[in-house]
Amino acid sequence: MTIDDRNRRPLSASRRLFLQRSSLLSGMIALGGGSYLLNPEGAWAADPIKVGIATDLTGPISWGGIPNSQVAKMVIAQINTSGGLLGRPIQMILEDTATNEQLAVTKVRKLVTQDKVDVVFGGITSSMRNAIKDTIVNRGKTLYIYPQLYEGKECTPFLFCTGPTPAQQCDTFIPWLIKNGGKKFYLPSADYVWPHVLNEYARNVIVKNGGEVVGEEYFPVDHNEYSAAVNKIMSSGVNVVFNTTIPPGVAAFFKQLNEAGFQKRGGRLACVYYDENALGITPAHEIEGLASCLDYFRAVNDPSGNKLQAEYAKLYGEKAMFTAGSGSTGMYRGIKLWEAAVKEAKSVKREPVAAALDHAKISDGPGGGCEMVPGTRHVKMNMYTAVSKGGKYEIVEKSKGPVMPGECG
Amino acid sequence: MSSVVAFSFDVLAYSSIFVLVVLGLGVIASMMGIFNFAHGEFVLLGGYTVYLFHSLGLPVWTGMVAAPFAVALVGLVLERVVIRRFYATPIVAMLGTYAIGLALRESVRSLLSGQFYSVTAPLVGSFSFGEISISRWRTAVILITAVVMVGSYLLLTRTRFGLQARAALENPALARASGISTSRVYAATFTFGAALAGLAGGLMVPIYAISADMGVPFLIKSFLAVMLGGMGGFEGAIAGAALVGATSAALPWVIKPVVADVLVFVIAIAIVKFRPQGLIAKWRS
Repeated sequence: MTIDDRNRRPLSASRRLFLQRSSLLSGMIALGGGSYLLNPEGAWAADPIKVGIATDLTGPISWGGIPNSQVAKMVIAQINTSGGLLGRPIQMILEDTATNEQLAVTKVRKLVTQDKVDVVFGGITSSMRNAIKDTIVNRGKTLYIYPQLYEGKECTPFLFCTGPTPAQQCDTFIPWLIKNGGKKFYLPSADYVWPHVLNEYARNVIVKNGGEVVGEEYFPVDHNEYSAAVNKIMSSGVNVVFNTTIPPGVAAFFKQLNEAGFQKRGGRLACVYYDENALGITPAHEIEGLASCLDYFRAVNDPSGNKLQAEYAKLYGEKAMFTAGSGSTGMYRGIKLWEAAVKEAKSVKREPVAAALDHAKISDGPGGGCEMVPGTRHVKMNMYTAVSKGGKYEIVEKSKGPVMPGECG
Repeated sequence: MSSVVAFSFDVLAYSSIFVLVVLGLGVIASMMGIFNFAHGEFVLLGGYTVYLFHSLGLPVWTGMVAAPFAVALVGLVLERVVIRRFYATPIVAMLGTYAIGLALRESVRSLLSGQFYSVTAPLVGSFSFGEISISRWRTAVILITAVVMVGSYLLLTRTRFGLQARAALENPALARASGISTSRVYAATFTFGAALAGLAGGLMVPIYAISADMGVPFLIKSFLAVMLGGMGGFEGAIAGAALVGATSAALPWVIKPVVADVLVFVIAIAIVKFRPQGLIAKWRS
């Protein structure tokens, strides 16, 4: 080690420096960061209804948290301009959970105990949902709505899930993949809860439809060298690569797979979190023909979705888009279903709202209307299969009516 | 046969990328004794430079040429303003550079709105020989790495700057007494290390896409490579990087990838146990 003597300071000065700096640091911690209060515009006679949004505005999961928070802001502003809810305005308190579960628990505790919010929306990953749900639902006695597509099996009372489940993403999609790809599946996956549980479900659907799983392999979440997997895929005659590896490593994987000639020999790439934002991860030609199954794509081209997209783009531009894979459509559904439930219950109290939310329904939204399946706290919704062509999605199949979530029933 | 060629090429390509990343880290660690935890973010800034050029409609290769200079400038400013205060306290330096890295990473994240963007390589597609396809861009990266490796080696062993840098490392007081401005040498060395990181980032972008966490997966394994190679020598870092890169790429061919990831560390630690001076420990012995 190099020691440059000129940089040595007398000890007493460094102690003073230490005291100065530690007091500065503790001051910074006390002030806190990443907390935003968004007051409703205009003059209101009634007290506001408080909505807490806890999501990852910073850290690795901010690809989902940023558009999620923007959709929430937009929808809440819309509700406020059209007269509020029960004659009261909605105040939104946004907390940055920074992709850090420990920090998030503190943040949601602030939401439920200090701000006393009436409902909490948020969380992108399952680990985040699992970390914060107890603080919100059990200790905080507050309603919690989770917006992202996930692996299912979340049946906690007063916790409603508004994103698609494995049943919704696999039941129509996998038969389509077998018909439009082939029978031999390979499941390259990131090693965390979502891929493990989703694969278990997908494997059953594959086998039930006459397909075969040639390989199921788990990689560390930050893995970025997939030559071994690519070689196995190329040498074992796999027809469909059902991918659950995640960004940023997925970029290297898809590129290596494409360069090895997987698509050229007729292989089909499938990935159920792929939405419009994900198209940016690799150049278009490398994922030509990639198929995804989600509750909304821009290509659905529905009037309600188009209107929301136009408004969203006007407010926030085109960087973090309003998509299904980021949980944004789930956030939209969650807020609108909760709004409908509050209107029906004529209250923001947890029990009556939860009772009304249990069968809440909205007739419109991106990808169409949707409704809660009573007793399950999950939503049945339309599902779309889309294929990427020249950097855009084309809808190739639409579910016949809303698809059941198949959870907690 | 074809899978043997594919295997060898992939291991070589990944090792090259790894060597490129570790080069800059190794230069700074071995010449200055600073473990730069912001190295991953210097790599990221290199990638971001290429992304910026690309989004401005300029050819990707111009961004790759500009990346080392842009990151060198950032490195120089950081060295002059912050890093030079840390030379006497390596532990504080680790924490300080970690904080700098975090600030850089979150700034880029907010510029990208947390999203991922691809940049198309200047060379697209692959060479095909029968059943074997060899990625053109990875081939280019292997060649560039070789050139940069030789160039850096010559710079540090055959030039006046290299001599001064080594002198400042061996004995700062004597170097200063002989009229070498160690402060300036340190600044130049740090800047050079940053430039190498920037180049690595620029060349990597077409393979990994740009996102704020681009440099993170490489960081810990890069430190492992430097430790394995032995402090105090530039060749050591390269040897360590080649070994870590090759085992990381090769092991998943034979065992579960999740196990392979751990095994890389186990193997490296075992080697360090039996060769604590590192694979190559020439300059300091």
